Amino acid sequence: MAKWGMIIDLDKCVGCQACSLACKSENNVPHGSPHEWKRHQDLYWHKVIAVTEGEYPTVNTQIIPMPCMHCEHPPCVNVCPAKATYQRGDGIVMQNFRRCIGCRYCIIACPYGSRNFNFKDQADEEYDRPDLPPDLDLSYVGHIGPWPYPRRTRGVVEKCTYCFHRIDQALEKGVDIGSPDGVVPACVEACPAEARFFGDLDDPESEVSRLLATRNSFKLREEMSTHPKTIYLPR
Amino acid sequence: MQLSFTPIKGTSRKYKVLVAVLAVLALTGIVAYMVSYLEGLRLWGINNSVSWGQLITVDIFFIGLSAGSLVVSSLVYVFGQERYKPIGRMAVFMGLLLMIGAMVCVLTDLGRPEKMWRLFMYGYLSNMKSMFAVNGIFYAGYIGLLVAYLAAALANSKLTKVIAPVAVLWAILVHMGTGAIFGFIETRGIMYSPLKPVEFISAAFASGLALVMLLSYVTLKLGKRPISKDMYVSLGRMLIVLIIVLVVLVVTDKLTHFYPPARESVLFLTQGPWSWIFWGMQVTLGYVIPLIILCHPKWGKTVKGIMIACLICVIGIFGERMGIIFPGLSQPLQYYPGEIEGVWGVRGGFPIMPAETLMTVGIFSLLGLMYVLGLKFLQLLPTAGSEGTADEGSEATAEQKALAAEGGTT
Repeated sequence: MAKWGMIIDLDKCVGCQACSLACKSENNVPHGSPHEWKRHQDLYWHKVIAVTEGEYPTVNTQIIPMPCMHCEHPPCVNVCPAKATYQRGDGIVMQNFRRCIGCRYCIIACPYGSRNFNFKDQADEEYDRPDLPPDLDLSYVGHIGPWPYPRRTRGVVEKCTYCFHRIDQALEKGVDIGSPDGVVPACVEACPAEARFFGDLDDPESEVSRLLATRNSFKLREEMSTHPKTIYLPR
Repeated sequence: MQLSFTPIKGTSRKYKVLVAVLAVLALTGIVAYMVSYLEGLRLWGINNSVSWGQLITVDIFFIGLSAGSLVVSSLVYVFGQERYKPIGRMAVFMGLLLMIGAMVCVLTDLGRPEKMWRLFMYGYLSNMKSMFAVNGIFYAGYIGLLVAYLAAALANSKLTKVIAPVAVLWAILVHMGTGAIFGFIETRGIMYSPLKPVEFISAAFASGLALVMLLSYVTLKLGKRPISKDMYVSLGRMLIVLIIVLVVLVVTDKLTHFYPPARESVLFLTQGPWSWIFWGMQVTLGYVIPLIILCHPKWGKTVKGIMIACLICVIGIFGERMGIIFPGLSQPLQYYPGEIEGVWGVRGGFPIMPAETLMTVGIFSLLGLMYVLGLKFLQLLPTAGSEGTADEGSEATAEQKALAAEGGTT
């Protein structure tokens, strides 16, 4: 079975946040008001952080886009009491909203802040998008995960899924995944700088494997031994 | 020594007012909960940084007090120390009430409380690798054991001798399991420690003993029951030992994490914006002042001094619980070395929100209500004048009222 991974080339990233926006619209992630943003109560499946080192004039700011790391040893899966968070065979760490009891233990265990709690019901006028994602609804036969829900429920924890609905659909149809004209997660597709790559880490022919073999790479917070599958190429 | 127990009459005006006030506060808490269930948890102070708030703080505080109360009761029912018998039943009752309160806290804290049964599916639908799910076994078994224990103690049954040791050992298990919920999370440096379960149980013993002493004293005093001064003085000595053990554990824990190069979390706890919790509440109120009072040649021998020490100690241990949750969760996660700009790098805030606070007050009041009603309907208090007493008898009324108010809400 494939082992999906994402590579983000920090040398190409311009910090435009197109990935964050694409994620929000693809996955129908609830919007947040400025008030909620201040209170840190809004949802982000994908975030972009800016890390500054030094002071002017010897200053260096690193822009780091952060989806879920989809760790091979995910601490969130260990701590979830309700089996709501689980790892699929292809390595994607999933969240089942139907099982989640909303204890928020996984938010505390996640070293990357990738998990967010849904604090409120969605307002109809704001983000009820039953049309999203486009070709997939609950009646779809190949649907194996909890997503997509046309509507969100509050009181559960949400997280990035590497757009698993796209992957599963592509596998069903036999479309190539990860190649330039193939299917990729929304954030990879949206990146104007082509700084993101998605593919099978186990497949030596894939673009991600080639990049890992030829370029220097690092993972975030390696000291936690979580073995993330979102890997960065340094600037 | 045969000691008989009788309930209080509960016909005085003061008693009725107390019950009414507690009932109204508890009702307010229930309404606050209903509103926040309908509106979503955005009404609370919790957010995606500090995702556990007041209710979890109160929860672990209660679990600790419950375990501590059981240990006090074990003096009577396991070790057969007859002189502590007047407060034995109260200690068991408090243990049960506090555990119920803790369960109310943890279940109302869930985002989807209607799915809480998943916690108790023991491996079928729950993940037994999670300390939370493991604690589901502990909590459920503990409440069952406590009910049996209380029933046996109230009936003066011989079974008490069998149930008591099991219940006390189970209480220790419950509290160590709760400590493990926090201690096993490597992500949060302030929580992460192999000592955490032991530290939790130690804090539980100290705070539980202090609470039982305080509440039983207030109850006996207001119920006009005999008060044995010797009993409280000897319990006070025991409290000294328990606090010292706790201090040793906390110092070991913090010093260990202070020593290696990765010391940000201890620095954040002791010098960061939340350091007032650690130094002001945990250290000063929890350890230093009670130890000074209890070790003082004069104050440590008077019931009044001991009670003040107990009150301060209970508040201080509450600070210790706060010191696990709030600094532990609001410390920013260092995703990448350097200074993270903007909202992702700031420390998490925790506003005091009305709905959550009302719920906290409501849960305290609910327990107080159940306690005062229990005094009326269960035979918890020793009969007046059944034993030789050394009543202090010279306390100011204002003092009593203050203690009663505290007792009522705790």
